[in-house]
Amino acid sequence: MSVVIEVIAPRLIGPALILALAIIVKGYQDVGDGFSAGVILALAIALRYIALGVDRAEAGLPILRHTGPVAVAGILVALASGFFGVLLGDPPFTHQPGPGEDVVHFGTLEFITAVSFDLGLFALVTSALVAVMHALARLVEGGES
Amino acid sequence: MTMRDDERGRRRVRRGRATDVLAWAAVGLAGAGLACALAVTLSGGGSVDWEWAPTLGLRLDLALDGLGSLYALLATGIGVAVFAYAIAYMPWHLDHEGRPRAEAARFWAWMAIFMGSMVGLACARDLILIFFFFDLTAVASYFLIAFDRERREARGAALMALFVTGVSAVLLLLGAVLLYDAHGTFELRELFALAEPGTTTTIAAALIAIAAFAKSAQAPLHFWLPRAMEAPTPVSAYLHSAAMVAAGVLVLGRVHPLLTRSELVMDGMLVVGLASILIGSVLAFAKDELKQILAHSTISQYGYVVVLYGIGGPEGAGAAALYVVAHALAKSALFMTAGAVTVATGESRLSRVGGLARRMPLLAAASALAAASLAALPLTIGFFKDELFFGAAIEKGPLMQAAAVLAASFTLAYIARFWLGIFAGPARAEAARVPALLVAPIAALGAVSLAGGVVIGPFAELAANAATVTNGAPVELHPAYHLDTRAENLMALGAWALGALLLFGRPLVGAAARAFARAGDRLGPRAIYRTGVIALNRFSDRVHDEEVRDLRNSIAAVLVPAGILVAAAFIFTPTDGVYRVGSVSADDLPIIGLLAVAALAAIQITRDPGRLRPVMALSVLGFALAAAYAVSGAPDVALVAVVVETVLTVVFVGVYARLPRAQRQARERGRRQGPGRNAIAGGFAGLAAFVVIWAALSRQPVAEGDAARQAEAAPAAHGGDIVTVTLADFRGLDTMVEITVLAVALLGVATLLRRGRLW
Repeated sequence: MSVVIEVIAPRLIGPALILALAIIVKGYQDVGDGFSAGVILALAIALRYIALGVDRAEAGLPILRHTGPVAVAGILVALASGFFGVLLGDPPFTHQPGPGEDVVHFGTLEFITAVSFDLGLFALVTSALVAVMHALARLVEGGES
Repeated sequence: MTMRDDERGRRRVRRGRATDVLAWAAVGLAGAGLACALAVTLSGGGSVDWEWAPTLGLRLDLALDGLGSLYALLATGIGVAVFAYAIAYMPWHLDHEGRPRAEAARFWAWMAIFMGSMVGLACARDLILIFFFFDLTAVASYFLIAFDRERREARGAALMALFVTGVSAVLLLLGAVLLYDAHGTFELRELFALAEPGTTTTIAAALIAIAAFAKSAQAPLHFWLPRAMEAPTPVSAYLHSAAMVAAGVLVLGRVHPLLTRSELVMDGMLVVGLASILIGSVLAFAKDELKQILAHSTISQYGYVVVLYGIGGPEGAGAAALYVVAHALAKSALFMTAGAVTVATGESRLSRVGGLARRMPLLAAASALAAASLAALPLTIGFFKDELFFGAAIEKGPLMQAAAVLAASFTLAYIARFWLGIFAGPARAEAARVPALLVAPIAALGAVSLAGGVVIGPFAELAANAATVTNGAPVELHPAYHLDTRAENLMALGAWALGALLLFGRPLVGAAARAFARAGDRLGPRAIYRTGVIALNRFSDRVHDEEVRDLRNSIAAVLVPAGILVAAAFIFTPTDGVYRVGSVSADDLPIIGLLAVAALAAIQITRDPGRLRPVMALSVLGFALAAAYAVSGAPDVALVAVVVETVLTVVFVGVYARLPRAQRQARERGRRQGPGRNAIAGGFAGLAAFVVIWAALSRQPVAEGDAARQAEAAPAAHGGDIVTVTLADFRGLDTMVEITVLAVALLGVATLLRRGRLW
């Protein structure tokens, strides 16, 4: 493995995370959504696994060992943003604020429940892909040793 | 004792205590449920009807009406008794199986879910909800029957129960969908008002009835129940009396107004019920194992209930409701008796025990009450169940009357054989002392059976309210002791006399019954099931071999039928104006260039014998297409295509790193099959895809319809990007379901890769 890859690949996670968040934040106005953002981050993590191997990759970034809780949290966030309208008497996936109502902005980020649904999707997709990568990488290492 | 042993022992005690807490929590839950159900019932019932997803026709329609109260009270009341019993039984069971006591935690969790799903089913008034809870009871019972998962028989029994009741539950769903298609609602009260007698109603009612028959272990789908005896005894006691098996007749009682719209279904219930009574009682006479006797007795007892629903009317509905109560009280007590006897003596066969009345007088007395109730002797609630049963049979005519007397006599005979075999006669086995908690619940249930025999009023009212729901019109029940020569009393006397006769002719009757059982084992539905499962397995193996051993076959298996379907559509649908050739302008040059690259890459993939190069070519193809999307104004699709293409390439390279070196033989075999087949299959499939895509591209951009309306609505949903808005808002529920499927699939993959361990 060349030094360049070993040095650069693990450090790509930061830019990838920024890119993913940008996609989500802009997602509701512009191209992209939680799914693409999740896959992009997962790709950067995959590069880290390839460059460092499972143990080193996870020693430096322990959250990679806890993909299960993150995936569950993602599903719960998505479920909550989809179904909290039911408590208000709306059908599921009636997002708040409703059509024509004012939206709170923070830059281009809009505070609407559709965006939090997208965030849940992002967390789920990323952690699910990482979980599979972890298992595959262990399998590869186990086979070689 | 070393220090490590000491530590381990202390940890075991601590874990044991945690399980104890869980166990008492489960009992508390059942008790609280009982108290709630009782309170709501006494205050006249209550209901919730909440359309939470109106676009999908989903609603939460639960009611603790007459029928709901009866079954909810049974599920929680019997639940308290069985759970309390299990506190004493489970430690013995786990010790006996050589497993740590902490494993009881799984038992308690599933038992609680079992009870909850049964209460939910009792209250559900919507076919989708009924299906949901119906299947939930099946899932819970699967894990409970397979509680001793190291034993092969337990796993097989659990799978059989899940298979028989789960597959038939699909019929229930099918019936529900048929009714929804015809009337646009899953809600039962609306369906009762809308459904007219006719073919659709008959078919739907029959499908629902078959699902209920399988659940209630009615012939010929009864064979799963005796095998389910592999479960720990508390599970059997609960499953037979208040959950799972009771769920079948509960559904029959709930949808009964639909069933009455079809003579065929009503007559079918009579036939199925009578056959189950006959098969169940004869086999109960033939069996030697305690729990097997009781299991076959359950088949026959629910046969009575099915017959009563088949008779219908206020008499049938009322008798069925009271029957379920009396049976649940007696049967759970008898199962727990069998368990207590096994704990005390270590024996589980009738021929190995005997004379236990002197050693365990309280157990003998309590189970005598339960047995007497099942046999319909006076001073127990069981007497009234048969009184009402005979009353309903009289309405139906002399043939039914004779069948009723015969059925009752058999019940008396086999249950007397059961009780006398355990508690009377010479003592055959040593009996150890058993914990008081193993006997107390039996005594309590026996006392309730006795109380019902003295003061039937509250029970009759409960049953009458349930029957009112079933019958769709008010029902009044007045069971009582009459010291005269009315038909019911004469029939009861006849049944007792005949039963005593059967009991005295035990050797002869037993031999005949065993011959019947042997014939059933060889030719019966269980043998058919076994043959069917083996054949299915073999078929599946063969398909698996064909598909998995050769990648070419598995690809062709998808592509060729798809091509055939498209060709058929091409032939049978009009094609005028569907295919148009547009013009090419200078703006289209980038797309043409990209598509040319994609085509070249595709040709390279088919011709390159290497390994990594085709993958790279595949990736070129993918990126060229993604770029084409971007150019033609679909940036969302392009973005997804790019990321997916990247992942695909990484996965391919990763998997190739694991593959063993190419086998020369395999390559030669591929060559021998010849490239002709590949070319034909590939060309055919490609042509079909070309035809479809051409037709799709020939259409004008959609200016009206759903898509246009959604594009217009996007700004109102605070979104500029129509694709994202569609995913998160307009079709949000679809996305939610998709990501759930994704999560479950990935969980499965990860578990497989880790050889069955989750993390």
